[in-house]
Amino acid sequence: MTNYPILTVTTFLPLVGAAVILILGDRLARWIALAATLLTLAVSAPLYLHFDKTSTALQFVESVPWIRSWNIAYGMGVDGISLPFIFLSAVLSVLCVSASWTAVETRVRDFYAALLISETAMIGLFASTNLFLFYIFWELMIVPMFLLIGVWGGPSRVYASVKFLLFTLAGSVLMLVGLIVLLYAGGTLDFQTLAGMRLSVSAQTWLFLAFLAAFAVKVPMFPVHTWLPDAHTEAPTAGSVILAGILLKMGAYGFLRISLPMFPDALPLFLTPMLALSVAAIVYGAYVTLAQTDVKRLIAYSSVSHMGFVTLGIFSLNRSGIEGAILQMVNHGILTGALFLCIGMIYERTHTREIAAYGGLFKAAPIFTTLLAFFCLAAIGFPGLNAFVGEFLIISGAFTKWAGLGVMAVWGVVLGTTYIVWLYYRVALGDVNPGLRELRLDLNAREVATLLPLVVMALVIGLYPESVLGFIRAPVAQLLSAIAASPTELAGRM
Amino acid sequence: MTDVTLLVPEIVLVAMALALILVARRLERARTGATSVVVAAIAAIGSGWAFSSASPDVGFGGTLAGDGYAQFFDVLFAATLAITALLSIRHVDEERVRPGEFYALLLLAATGMLLAASAMDLLILYLGLELMTLCSYVLVGITREKTASIEGAVKYFLLGSFASALLLYGIGLTYGVTGATGFASIASAATERGLAGNPLLLAGVVLVVAGLAFKIAAVPFHAWAPDAYQGASAPVGAFLAAGSKAAGLAALVRVCIVAFAPEHPLWSNLLVALAALSIVVGSLLALSQSNMKRLLAYSSISHAGYALLGLIPGTPGGASATMTYAFVYAFMTLGAFGVVIALGQRGENLPGYHGLAKTNPGTAALMFLFLLSLTGIPPTAGFAAKFAVILSVVGAGHIGLAVLAVVSSVVSAYFYLRVAVYMYMTDPQGAAPGRLPSTVSVALLLAALVTIIGGVFPDTFAAWTVPP
Repeated sequence: MTNYPILTVTTFLPLVGAAVILILGDRLARWIALAATLLTLAVSAPLYLHFDKTSTALQFVESVPWIRSWNIAYGMGVDGISLPFIFLSAVLSVLCVSASWTAVETRVRDFYAALLISETAMIGLFASTNLFLFYIFWELMIVPMFLLIGVWGGPSRVYASVKFLLFTLAGSVLMLVGLIVLLYAGGTLDFQTLAGMRLSVSAQTWLFLAFLAAFAVKVPMFPVHTWLPDAHTEAPTAGSVILAGILLKMGAYGFLRISLPMFPDALPLFLTPMLALSVAAIVYGAYVTLAQTDVKRLIAYSSVSHMGFVTLGIFSLNRSGIEGAILQMVNHGILTGALFLCIGMIYERTHTREIAAYGGLFKAAPIFTTLLAFFCLAAIGFPGLNAFVGEFLIISGAFTKWAGLGVMAVWGVVLGTTYIVWLYYRVALGDVNPGLRELRLDLNAREVATLLPLVVMALVIGLYPESVLGFIRAPVAQLLSAIAASPTELAGRM
Repeated sequence: MTDVTLLVPEIVLVAMALALILVARRLERARTGATSVVVAAIAAIGSGWAFSSASPDVGFGGTLAGDGYAQFFDVLFAATLAITALLSIRHVDEERVRPGEFYALLLLAATGMLLAASAMDLLILYLGLELMTLCSYVLVGITREKTASIEGAVKYFLLGSFASALLLYGIGLTYGVTGATGFASIASAATERGLAGNPLLLAGVVLVVAGLAFKIAAVPFHAWAPDAYQGASAPVGAFLAAGSKAAGLAALVRVCIVAFAPEHPLWSNLLVALAALSIVVGSLLALSQSNMKRLLAYSSISHAGYALLGLIPGTPGGASATMTYAFVYAFMTLGAFGVVIALGQRGENLPGYHGLAKTNPGTAALMFLFLLSLTGIPPTAGFAAKFAVILSVVGAGHIGLAVLAVVSSVVSAYFYLRVAVYMYMTDPQGAAPGRLPSTVSVALLLAALVTIIGGVFPDTFAAWTVPP
């Protein structure tokens, strides 16, 4: 297929870019960052073109012995579940560079270096085939994010960045203990080998809890979501986009890659609480979203609700639920990323995030408002746009599981429509807010170009969901059959 | 006669120390003294390697070893010595310490460390450790005009003498029961004559472990460390944190695994308590510190606890994890102290780090790297070392201790990264510190190199470790 280690190159190219930026300094930082992210997207192209959708095996596998004393290899490879996220990470990184072009004026060099390091961490995480490498990238992600929020963020950025750091670290250190126990018990950290192993039920239960601590904080699940509104709100636009677009997906990806295949015997015990927490996140998150007066905080809380859909789909443990969850992860990355970009662009002109300070943007900034309307429609699940398919699959999966779950999820969709439409009404319609009259509000060509790829992606997935579902169908089927083959009867204990 | 080759590194260091004492009156500039220390350190390692094939593994009637274990620590101590010398030049000049005395004491202290790591006999071990500690007392108090320095030295001396007495008493009891002071003979006497459960021998084990726990500043034998580190000038603090701790660990590992092998259940339980207390108390007390040297002192207390984790199972693998930890910790703490030193008076207190990333981005980045490593965040050597020791305790079945250790590292993240918050997320106050002296840059880059290599390729340093 290709004659170079494509995943390694894709992963570490941004890191090289970061090093170059650090050496060359502020002046060229933006252009080098743009070149590095575009090049990363380009070199990753063969991944999507040559991917065999019918196979459940890992593809583009690279494996080099790394730490012999712990029997750990440097292993990379992708399957249909990880591939969409590598693509999403690569695309969003380009857009983040573009969106920060004029928004970031201070310490430009450090900013783009941090952004590129986080791209390496994101792509590396989804490309890892063993738990050790996964953990390295998982932790590596924290550091640039901590700096992005804390250095270039809003007024209470330091509080938000420290809170983000401590929450995520507290979760991930328990994963570290779980990882070490797995290494000790299994003698390896390779995902596939570990998934093929059956530990005792009590060991699986404890390990599930240890990994749950890390993943639940990252997703974030109710009630450990409280870092998210602060971090999303205070982060600079690019930081918010990466947080919402990719970082939250890491937790859900962890459930799919680690918790479900490795600890299937623990699932009967945890299924009910996980589903209950998911529904709580959907409904509670939606109600809290309704009460927000700050645009970014509103979108941040809506993420809690949307990620509740994702965990609901995953723990429904049926095909439409899990496929819907993965699709919803991609969709949420596109749409919440887009909404944060929109808010960031308008904030750059008005310097306020208060909803009350806006109004009548449709007259003052028609291009902006048209794009905003498109993303709002997509976010409420308008048929023909991307979120509709994902939510539909999740809800049908939830109904299959238990009708009550489906009803709650539908209620969440209704609330979601309410807060988005209400947000749009307050921001875009009515008379132009007097405070905005003097400003030139509409988008320039660079900003429109930043948003257009997301419009295209939303349309493509909405009109042709197979573009994503085709990748994930085979691995999801394999995952479900592996869980079903578990010696403990799932159905019997429910 | 070939036995003497075992002592070649020690002889080189002592010879240089004597030479410095001879010319002490004429030695005006710290740079000359520091250069001779670096030369001696390199010569010690070089000659040690050159003679290693000719020298026996054990010599002087079984009291001194020249095995891989000793060589590993020789390299560590020589590196610590050289880096400390590079870092100390400005302090020695500014604080009007006599370079001849300062560097001679540094060399002699390092000689004590080398002896402690190669000792195969409790008495030689005691001699080595005392040589190290006596020189350290003087080094802490060498800036005589400062009251804090004298206070630190006196506290260190009083508590240190008490700990030496404990150690000596333990050695006495062990000798009384087994009739031996050599490590191998103690172990064989205990097993052959069925003395493993002898209460006097057990008391001896407890006292020896307690005496050595003092050297590594493990809780509850840690009270001297914060005052001594804060009172001492920063290079001396760095030397104590990196070298003195590694020497204590080197002694503890060899004594526990070789001499007290039959008493493994006892000392293993002792170490569980010492490690748990050190990790928790060190991290919690560091939270409220605003003096950098004091903060690094509490951090060194909690790192002593992490290092002990590897020794708990009493296996060769665990011992080599502890050795790696001592090695990696030495470099990352030397690095952190190095930045404190590089910033001069400003570096001593936390507010001095305001906006450092704006005025000195390179220095700030290095400090950030060392702080991440001390916290144990990958891909730094601190993470790999922590991973190895926790893997050992999990293997010994102490999962609760492993959870305690990682949870404490979240606590420690708060105080380490508070420094990062000051550096990166606040505006500079006052004048920017000037450029780093080239010697300090060399030392910092060396420490950074080890911190990165040890994180990206954890096998590199672990491969050098030879358990006793």
